[in-house]
Amino acid sequence: MHKAPGFRLETGFVFVLLVLGSAISVISWGYGFGSLAQPGPGLYPFFVGAAISVFSLFILIAVLMSGTGKSLPAREGARTLALMTLTFCFWILAMPLLGYVVVSMLATYAFCKVMKLEGWRKPLAVSAGTALFIYLLFDYWLYVDLPRGILG
Amino acid sequence: MEGLSLLYSGFINSFTTVNLVACFIGALIGTVVGVLPGLGPTATMVLMLPFTLPYGPTTGLIMMTGVWYGAMYGGSTTSVLVNIPGEAASVVTCIDGYQMCKNGRAGAALALVAIGSFVAGTIGLLGLQFFAPLLGNAALSFGPPEFLSFMILAFVLLSNLSAEAPLKGALMIALGLFLATVGINPMDSYPRFTFGFEKLMLGIDFLPVAVGLFGISEVLSIAVEKYVKPVVSKVRLRDLYPNRDEIRRSVNPMLRGSILGFFMGLLPGPCTVISTFVAYALEKRISRTPERFGHGAVEGVVGPESANNSAVMGSMIPLLTLGIPFAAPSAIMLAGLRMHNVEPGPMLFVTHPDVFWTFIAAMYLGNLMLLILNLPLVGAFAKIAVIRPQVLLPVISLICLVGVYSVRNALFDVWVMIGAGVVGYFLRQWKYPIAPFIIGLVLGPTTENSLRQTLLMFKGDVSLIVGRPLSITLLALATAFLAYKFLGPRFGTKLAVNVDEGKSL
Repeated sequence: MHKAPGFRLETGFVFVLLVLGSAISVISWGYGFGSLAQPGPGLYPFFVGAAISVFSLFILIAVLMSGTGKSLPAREGARTLALMTLTFCFWILAMPLLGYVVVSMLATYAFCKVMKLEGWRKPLAVSAGTALFIYLLFDYWLYVDLPRGILG
Repeated sequence: MEGLSLLYSGFINSFTTVNLVACFIGALIGTVVGVLPGLGPTATMVLMLPFTLPYGPTTGLIMMTGVWYGAMYGGSTTSVLVNIPGEAASVVTCIDGYQMCKNGRAGAALALVAIGSFVAGTIGLLGLQFFAPLLGNAALSFGPPEFLSFMILAFVLLSNLSAEAPLKGALMIALGLFLATVGINPMDSYPRFTFGFEKLMLGIDFLPVAVGLFGISEVLSIAVEKYVKPVVSKVRLRDLYPNRDEIRRSVNPMLRGSILGFFMGLLPGPCTVISTFVAYALEKRISRTPERFGHGAVEGVVGPESANNSAVMGSMIPLLTLGIPFAAPSAIMLAGLRMHNVEPGPMLFVTHPDVFWTFIAAMYLGNLMLLILNLPLVGAFAKIAVIRPQVLLPVISLICLVGVYSVRNALFDVWVMIGAGVVGYFLRQWKYPIAPFIIGLVLGPTTENSLRQTLLMFKGDVSLIVGRPLSITLLALATAFLAYKFLGPRFGTKLAVNVDEGKSL
């Protein structure tokens, strides 16, 4: 983790939580606070939102004062993180169309390459093995009805 | 006598093929996970939740505990052989365990750890068997104010013990409590924070959030880190015999660690991890030769490893008797039991005594299975430690994806899991503890119910809590702890358990 010179991601994150906590309290008030004797649906989330705001505020002050807020991982790590996340998203988007077996195989191959498994034989073996394992575990053993897509 | 007959019927119930297989699979997977640096027991338990759904609650509970328990056994293997803790509760074992390995006593260390874990597990089970029904019966008289006070005390301790910065722990609990309010409130059927999305009406499902936070975030964290291939020392079966002196020096630490770990398990927070640090400090303090610690003292290996095993059993007490999980793995178990429509708590011993006693009996068997598995197969388990993450992580990722999808056949759940995973990755990097978030999420509905019922009971006059001795004691304890935490350092004392949570949470 390297520190970015200006804006740090952690600072932004805690600030978002501060806003979120305040928003929760405001929205909860709208649900009906009631009274302590007759609590409405908004009473409990109002206090939870207030707690989030207070804790975030203190953490934000601490992060700003110490200047220890963390940013994104180093370039190589950020690339791996982004590609891994994209592969997850690919699986979700393509699974209904291509079916779980094909997509699982493709996604596993992509995961292997993102994590720098050398050559093409090992990634292919791992992806084929994983797809077979997923089929046996979920389809054959647990009878889960998964989309088969092009394999119909 | 009633307890013995219930235990007997528990053994009869546990001797079904499905329960024995569940116990074996849980113990085996737990040991493997414990050996593998990276994936922790909590993540594994979450991943296994969907597979327990086709079977009964008892089978699910047995499998989950088997994983947790097995991870405590397996975690020591890499600590001793590679100097890399398989999971956070085995960090302390590295100190003297690896030194024993360097002195050519790795086999003896592993054998004594396995025996110590077995003894500790058995003592922990005896404690659970004895204390849980007693506390369960006592808890039947608890009302909403007592439960609310218990939860406040648990939250205070949890936020302080599970994070370097208590505020971060408190923030995570509050976020978990908030997420639990999303959806239709069962008390007045009022939809909250749904913003017109139909999928949010039933609330945010626990499983995708937990798999994302524990499974996917761990996968991402390991993928981003640089992989260094470990070098594993070989252990042969004939090396496993400890000598007479090692056995003599291990007996008392084994017993002390077991008792200490059991009571540490009753504390909110990463009890298994904290128990190992405390057990190590205790052994060193009472030793006549403290200078041997750090150079391969068998007491420094056996004491902590016994403590973490019995802490698992200790932490089952608040879960089963009060329905309040004090650690992340027990929060996963609570969620798992709820999926089977079993609500742990005082009524468990009235409505589902079979669940409790079958679980106890199965864990005796599981403990024995783990001993049998771990002694002769220690060499084989050690080899697992060298499996490259490039091979392992894709398989885990796919199990997460398909596992979460398969529960409700909903891609929405998979999106939630990925979102939680990415957020969880950054939370780990920034040292925000995940366990308090999950515990807040699981306890959210109970906390709200207890608060509303207490307010209705007292007609809004919260000062009436003074008339509830247990409630006021618990709240006084929470206040005293906070006062000690903030004022203690000023008076020269410091209450801090600096635990690298790692992935055990």
